[in-house]
Amino acid sequence: MQVYKLCLKIIKKNIPVMLIYIFIYLSVSIVVTLSSSRQNNTGNDFTDTKANIAFISGEETPLIEGLRKELGRQANFINLPDKKEAQQDALFFREVVYILRIPEGFTQKFMAGEEVHLEKNSVPDSAKAAYIDLAVDQYLNTARFFLSTMGDVTQESLVKYLDDVLSQEADVKLMPAPAKTDVYGLVFSYNYMAYSLSSILVLGMAAIMAAFNNRDLRNRVSCSPVRETAANLQIFLASLTFAGVAWLTQIAFCFFFDIENVLTMNTVYLLLNSLVFTVCGTAMGFLIGSVVKGNEAISAVTNVVVLGSCFICGVFVPAQLLGETTLRIASFTPTYWFVKANNQAAQLTQFDLSSVRLVLSDTAVIVCFALAFFALSLVIRKVRRFS
Amino acid sequence: MVVKVSNLVKRYGDLIALDHLSFSIKEGEIFGLLGPNGSGKTTAINCILALLKYDKGEIEVFGEPMTPESYHIKQDIGIVMQNVAVYNELTVYENIDYFCGLYIKDKALKKKYVEEAIEFVDLGEYRNFRPKKLSGGLLRRLNIACGIAHKPKLIILDEPTVAVDPQSRNRILEGIKELNSNGATVIYTSHYMEEVEQICSRIMIIDKGKAIATGTKEELKAMISLGEKITVESYDVSEQQLARLRELPNIVSVEYNEPLIVIKSSKGKNNLENVLEFIKKENIQFGKIYSELPTLNDVFLEITGKELRD
Ligand SMILES: Nc1ncnc2c1ncn2[C@@H]1O[C@H](COP(=O)(O)OP(=O)(O)OP(=O)(O)O)[C@@H](O)[C@H]1O
Ligand SMILES: [Mg+2]
Repeated sequence: MQVYKLCLKIIKKNIPVMLIYIFIYLSVSIVVTLSSSRQNNTGNDFTDTKANIAFISGEETPLIEGLRKELGRQANFINLPDKKEAQQDALFFREVVYILRIPEGFTQKFMAGEEVHLEKNSVPDSAKAAYIDLAVDQYLNTARFFLSTMGDVTQESLVKYLDDVLSQEADVKLMPAPAKTDVYGLVFSYNYMAYSLSSILVLGMAAIMAAFNNRDLRNRVSCSPVRETAANLQIFLASLTFAGVAWLTQIAFCFFFDIENVLTMNTVYLLLNSLVFTVCGTAMGFLIGSVVKGNEAISAVTNVVVLGSCFICGVFVPAQLLGETTLRIASFTPTYWFVKANNQAAQLTQFDLSSVRLVLSDTAVIVCFALAFFALSLVIRKVRRFS
Repeated sequence: MVVKVSNLVKRYGDLIALDHLSFSIKEGEIFGLLGPNGSGKTTAINCILALLKYDKGEIEVFGEPMTPESYHIKQDIGIVMQNVAVYNELTVYENIDYFCGLYIKDKALKKKYVEEAIEFVDLGEYRNFRPKKLSGGLLRRLNIACGIAHKPKLIILDEPTVAVDPQSRNRILEGIKELNSNGATVIYTSHYMEEVEQICSRIMIIDKGKAIATGTKEELKAMISLGEKITVESYDVSEQQLARLRELPNIVSVEYNEPLIVIKSSKGKNNLENVLEFIKKENIQFGKIYSELPTLNDVFLEITGKELRD
């Protein structure tokens, strides 16, 4: 295990540099955590500007019409196709803050007093969305109240009663900010991993690769009785150890910054996502280490690649502030998909297959990036060897 | 035979780096590979180590064909590369420990060997230094320690003393002799003829990938016609006198680069005496006068028509 130990030693010598990234991560996370909790305290960030929402209905009935009219007081309707991807993108880019989808047969069930189900999706942490959500609930609850007390009424008269009642009291009411499950803090600490963890991974991997790409050292080791396959296996194991330890360390910090959400299903998907991203970062380090020579050059390239992708992919700056072109370019980096998957994982409220699929499909893109990086480095190494 | 190379041909495109090179090395020898820059020494070594594919020829080490998969053969070879190959992330001690560990699994034995190697190259006070902080000569010594720590049966050193100061160089050369007397066979490449003369029991001179002469240094010197080189320091000598000097028996050539007259004579008796007599007779004023026996450089010069070193 001589080669394995050597790799770990090389990593160890690079720990001081890696600590810088951990330090930056910690400082930024602390600042973000503090400022987002201060935002919580300022509380009622109610504004009377209308929220953009999507109202998608599988049927047209007087009841639905009434609800639409009621919501129209507080919201602009944006047309969205009835496709989950498009809707998630619209939320991600803040085209809408809230999406209400009414399934077919809703009215019939509702009027019969059966249990009904609405699909709601919203931008996390948005007061406007919460306000709309409340309005929806209020409308339906009031309707249910009329139904149960008045017995047999037609939809038309029900809608009329509702219109009368709600137009009187609900017009301008200052809503308290919703109780916050701090999704933003949670996602931030994971998103920011794209900077700290990938810097660390790329640095470490590149340092290992640099040591083994050096022609003189490679020749020297080839003269020894250590088999090439054994040596490669040991390098692989060492990389695995390193990536694993780096991931665990990073995850520990994420948990620390978001202790309340650790036991949610959302965190499971965030973890899966970050694990896949770790593999991808390792492969990227492998690639950079295969292409770039010299320690200074490696850290320069690492900074450019990692920092650059973090800027354009919405790690430092929220994605909705970035232009469409930027985001289109960003989608050629794994970081973009990592951030997207994280944001979606944090927003999940239902964990059925179709909701989860959205997260997993983005995670799958990261896997493809990892495979591509890995394959590319193997090709480069092969070409180099024969030249 | 520890190493047997027959008809080795190595081409780099149009360049023939090794041209039907053949030699064999017996156990216990210090075999010197002497040649100017670019003559193919490193290429030959790399072929022996199976680091390079070659176009033609056979190589046997310890009586077996050498291939990249001959791990049991590699176990007994120690190699000091011309280019220093050490890890910048590791200290002097860790580097030697790493390379020794590639061969030696037993921890206690490894530790002992590493200490001995540090002692051997006298790097004790630098053991915790990183290679970047070592001077060129110290780095060379580290490179040597990494190559020989595991006490191999065959030690190959490719110009190990470049940039090493004369004192350390002598120490290294003495050390190599010591390793040899402890049973190791040594291949030593260099373009310093003095080194090769000092330690090698047999020498092969190569030029442009061809072996031009092989033998002990005495044998090599016996191969050439030059017997003696006499140098006279004088500011006062005429062309006529030089011409008459050329007429003397055994004299091969006379050259005058003020103030030195270099007189080369073939093997024979009384060469120096004849020259002295001539100078007296001609009444030539002279300062120093001395006579040298031929060096390997003269051997190289006579066979190839050029100097071994620029
Ligand atoms: N990788 C290579 N590609 C092309 N030509 C090469 C390569 N390596 C060596 N050569 C050529 O082969 C010849 C022999 O080189 P080699 O390194 O064996 O010489 P050397 O005797 O070791 O010289 P030195 O004393 O400078 O170390 C030189 O002309 C060199 O330019
Ligand atoms: Mg050489």
